[in-house]
Amino acid sequence: MKRIALVVAWAVVAVPLGWGVYQSVQKSLPLFVGQAEPAPP
Amino acid sequence: MTFLSYEATVAGAGFNRWLVPPAAIAVHMCIGEVYGFSVFNVPLTQAGAGWTIPQVGWAYSVALFMLGISAAVFGRWVERSGPRKAMVASCALFCGGLLVSALAVKLQLLWLLYLGYGVTGGIGLGLGYIAPVSTLIKWFPDRPGMATGMAIMGFGGGALIGAPLGVKLMDHFKTATSVGVAETFVAMAGLYAVVMLFGAAIVRVPAADWKPAGWTPGRHVKPMMTNAAVAVEVAWKTPQFWCLWVVLCMNVSAGIGILGQASKMCSDMFGVGAAVGGGFAGLLSIFNMGGRFVWSSVSDYTGRKAVYCVYFLLGAILYCAVPWTQNVQSRGLFVAVTAVIVTMYGGGFATIPAYLRDLFGTYQVGAIHGRLITAWSVAALLGPSLVNYISTAEIDAGVPRAEAYNSTMFLMAGLLVVGLVANLLVRPVAPKYHRAEPSGG
Repeated sequence: MKRIALVVAWAVVAVPLGWGVYQSVQKSLPLFVGQAEPAPP
Repeated sequence: MTFLSYEATVAGAGFNRWLVPPAAIAVHMCIGEVYGFSVFNVPLTQAGAGWTIPQVGWAYSVALFMLGISAAVFGRWVERSGPRKAMVASCALFCGGLLVSALAVKLQLLWLLYLGYGVTGGIGLGLGYIAPVSTLIKWFPDRPGMATGMAIMGFGGGALIGAPLGVKLMDHFKTATSVGVAETFVAMAGLYAVVMLFGAAIVRVPAADWKPAGWTPGRHVKPMMTNAAVAVEVAWKTPQFWCLWVVLCMNVSAGIGILGQASKMCSDMFGVGAAVGGGFAGLLSIFNMGGRFVWSSVSDYTGRKAVYCVYFLLGAILYCAVPWTQNVQSRGLFVAVTAVIVTMYGGGFATIPAYLRDLFGTYQVGAIHGRLITAWSVAALLGPSLVNYISTAEIDAGVPRAEAYNSTMFLMAGLLVVGLVANLLVRPVAPKYHRAEPSGG
């Protein structure tokens, strides 16, 4: 029971944090792949 | 004894201390949403009230200002009341602030937005930020840096969650006549309230005589670490407090200088577009979060003074290297250098509670931390202002846009040298400041 509580507690924070990291990695992909778009003058 | 009382949070025998870090992270990752507020800037200007981005931006600035003030003012109350009551109060104020902000958008009242998001939400931020810190230090006397690093990592992670969550919710709620920002504030208030109250429900404080198995306080005291206790009213009058105030202020000023301008800096220095610049800013946020845990955990082995020397020395060298990366037009090196800088910015935030614990003991470390956070409020004004002012002045003076940040980088390195000197001046607190009878923990 204690182990389940521990897993649930960590999941409550790890899942949103993992989602946030995933979103940021997705957002940062243009930095590494594809042609850099030109900056506005 | 009520559910919110300090006594109700004292852990029974056999309680697993690893349940406390997720309680702290739950609160920190919710209040860390404030760092993602910029995603609401444009939608708020389109909400029909005719607000401008500078006007809306003040809600964010007031919130950060109130964070520092409320942490300083309510630190002792948080220590007395215990983490659960403080977390519930933080939840009520932070989520209540979001609800008031939604009302402000509906009624199109700018002052109500400042009152809701800025003042009310900002006080919630301050309470939530310091609430779990001393509790974690008491549960992990053998690894205080790692323990507080986990919580403060959650605050850094809050921006990673809050910004995309806000964007997705606004997409969901928007209609032909509404940008969906008010509905988003309400939904976020509900979601964050559930997570914060979950944290408040599972948090516990250790019994007065509890200590980790196999850990003996006397055996683990290092040269810069005390088992004595210093009260907050005495601590803030010691030179050590002000040295650490300068340490935090300089570290944060320099880091915010890069983080606040990351997207624009990348675009200006390397001639890339907004999408790449935005990607760079997102990447730095991940390193900011990771650095909080990694560097703070490392400080448990190296000592706090040594790790801050690394932040300042290595940081100053890397800041001076940024113009060189632009000169050789190496985007990869630029990203690597700034990423390391930002890990140390986060590390500086996360290591400070353990540094305070080493110098002043655990007695009122949360309240002392609260007062030290005023350095953050000052740095939040100082760092971005310096970068903005100097880079704009350089461009106005005819310096090419790509080279306009060089002077700023050297100035940031200078700030870190000031921080290094303050750190080197830190000595153990004189026994005359210690309480006659150290309080447990």
